[in-house]
Amino acid sequence: MDNNIVIDVRNITKKFKVYFDKGAQLKERLLFRKRNRYEERDVLKGISFQVQKGEAVGLIGHNGCGKSTTLKLLTKIMYPDSGEIVMQGRISSLIELGAGFHPDMSGRENIYTNASIFGLTKKEIDARFNDIVEFSELAEFIDNPVRTYSSGMYMRLAFSVAINVDADILLIDEILAVGDTNFQTKCFNRLRELKSGGMTVIIVTHDLSTIEKFCDKAIWLNDGLIVREGRSDEVVDAYFRFMNDKKLETEKKAVPEKSGEPEQSENNIQEDSGEIDYSANRFGLRHAEIKKARMLNPENKDTRIFRTGERLTIEISYHINRPDEYVFGFGFYDMDGRCLYGNNTQLDRMKISPENTDGRISVDIESFPLLAGKYILNVAIVDADGTPMDFYRSYCEFEVVSHDRSTGYFSIEHNWRL
Amino acid sequence: MDTLKEIYAYRHMIFSLVRKDLRGRYKGSVLGFLWTFINPLLQLVVYTVVFKIILKTNIERYYLYLFIALIAWIFFSASLTGGAASIVAQKDLIKKIYFPRQVIPISYVTSCFVNMLLSFIVVFIVIIFSGTGFNFSALLYLPVIMVVEYILSLGAALIVSAVTVYFRDLEHILGIVTMALMYMTPIMYDKSIVPERLLPIFNLNPMTHIIGCYRDILYYKTVPELSGLLSSFVLGTVFLIAGHFLFLKLQRHFAEEL
Repeated sequence: MDNNIVIDVRNITKKFKVYFDKGAQLKERLLFRKRNRYEERDVLKGISFQVQKGEAVGLIGHNGCGKSTTLKLLTKIMYPDSGEIVMQGRISSLIELGAGFHPDMSGRENIYTNASIFGLTKKEIDARFNDIVEFSELAEFIDNPVRTYSSGMYMRLAFSVAINVDADILLIDEILAVGDTNFQTKCFNRLRELKSGGMTVIIVTHDLSTIEKFCDKAIWLNDGLIVREGRSDEVVDAYFRFMNDKKLETEKKAVPEKSGEPEQSENNIQEDSGEIDYSANRFGLRHAEIKKARMLNPENKDTRIFRTGERLTIEISYHINRPDEYVFGFGFYDMDGRCLYGNNTQLDRMKISPENTDGRISVDIESFPLLAGKYILNVAIVDADGTPMDFYRSYCEFEVVSHDRSTGYFSIEHNWRL
Repeated sequence: MDTLKEIYAYRHMIFSLVRKDLRGRYKGSVLGFLWTFINPLLQLVVYTVVFKIILKTNIERYYLYLFIALIAWIFFSASLTGGAASIVAQKDLIKKIYFPRQVIPISYVTSCFVNMLLSFIVVFIVIIFSGTGFNFSALLYLPVIMVVEYILSLGAALIVSAVTVYFRDLEHILGIVTMALMYMTPIMYDKSIVPERLLPIFNLNPMTHIIGCYRDILYYKTVPELSGLLSSFVLGTVFLIAGHFLFLKLQRHFAEEL
């Protein structure tokens, strides 16, 4: 075996028995035979991979794909049904921080107890004690019982112990979500240091940016099998695409045709009263009314989920009570109510005086620029002077999925040059 | 062999678990650690009243005769009943962190052992005050018999702790079994009054020999019979080896069963 390979996973499988109603007691086992029925679920269907010394590897996949199970097998909390895992060196895990903390004991005592769970001797802990306390920034609280700690302090102490074990292999499961950002940054910096010192790191997380930033390699698991393995950015990209497609798919299945009814239909019709309640979600004089607005995807389906860069059509069905010149508008807002984009027929220098009482107007956005996220659509009819006739502050919410992983609101075409 | 090495590497975990157990056991109670001594003393009072005053046993210094056996017995029975629950009680740890699982029953039995050692301080005080005195050459065998009992208790605890994970009733069954065993071991009475035809069963019980040895050393002040010591050592070792392999096999699925 190559000396540089510190983790060698060979074709491991794992089944779980999922009991419908498990009886752990003799009486139950004998009396309720039927209750002992269980289903065997293949969580891992034969996966193999190798990790070299000093590599950081991220395991990704949706819930239940087997990534946490893989990690548990690596820590030897569980054993594979078949296959083999060969690992070299001391293993430390950040799977469950602070497991084994005793609330009544002081931080100091818990450091000793907790570190001993990682297999450290008293001497080894003595040598690391100051580093641990310093890293946790808890020096002044170290002799207080742990039950008096805030959850952030608790995690800080636990993390500090685990990271100072001097492991050759560190296994991390979705834990860096805790603690304030400063401490998180500190943790990552420390992890980077350890990594450059030759420590091997395996991370399981849903946070793809962590994987991309920190890991050299990523392994994408789906349904107990490895879908893709390779450079982390490539794997993350592929996984991202897959997840987006899946999201669209489920949306289509779940809601075949969304009714275009507004989510709130407040009908405070203010016929000719001349007074307009601007604070309402829907307001206006109703000389012209919005009957319905639809958001259409490239297949002309009314939906609430779209893709960045594809066509989006907004179609407003209106009813005219008093023929006049009207202005039709729409706008996109973020969930905090900030306007991201707004436009209307007047700004686009169109004059519209509808002749029929009922009609439809639509606007095509050829390449929808908003990035992934949730947004709010507003639609409105105002008259030529800007007096609201029918104004929906929030007509509906919609969601955008995207391959573009830029931050901010808009997808902007760009090319890097060197 | 690897397992033993690993358990040795985790020795500090055993120490800290034992410490935690000893310190945590009486946490919050007014008398605190004193309960370690009060508990057996109260049991002693009850049994002495029943056997000496009501049943009028003619054993001399019955309180001492009983006390020695009782302390030794409590160590074994606590290892058995508490040991059975030990793995299940630490399920959070087992489901989340890797460490050699044997550490848990070892720690539990060790903390019971330390409790026994502490109780023996009281026994020694009673011996001194009763004017019984010591036979120092016999006393040399005391650590030996303690180790033998430790081996037996650990072997038994390994077995019951692992089996209880899969079969939780065992914990409750053991409550009855240890009570029955207690009366099947000459603790409150002398082996000499056991009917002839029951003797083979009593001799199969390793605790019969162990209790006998404790009494030889401290009550009769003689060097214990080697045959009894040896047979209990052999039985204890068999338990320990069997327990070790059974545990090794059963522990693979602990995390899933808990």
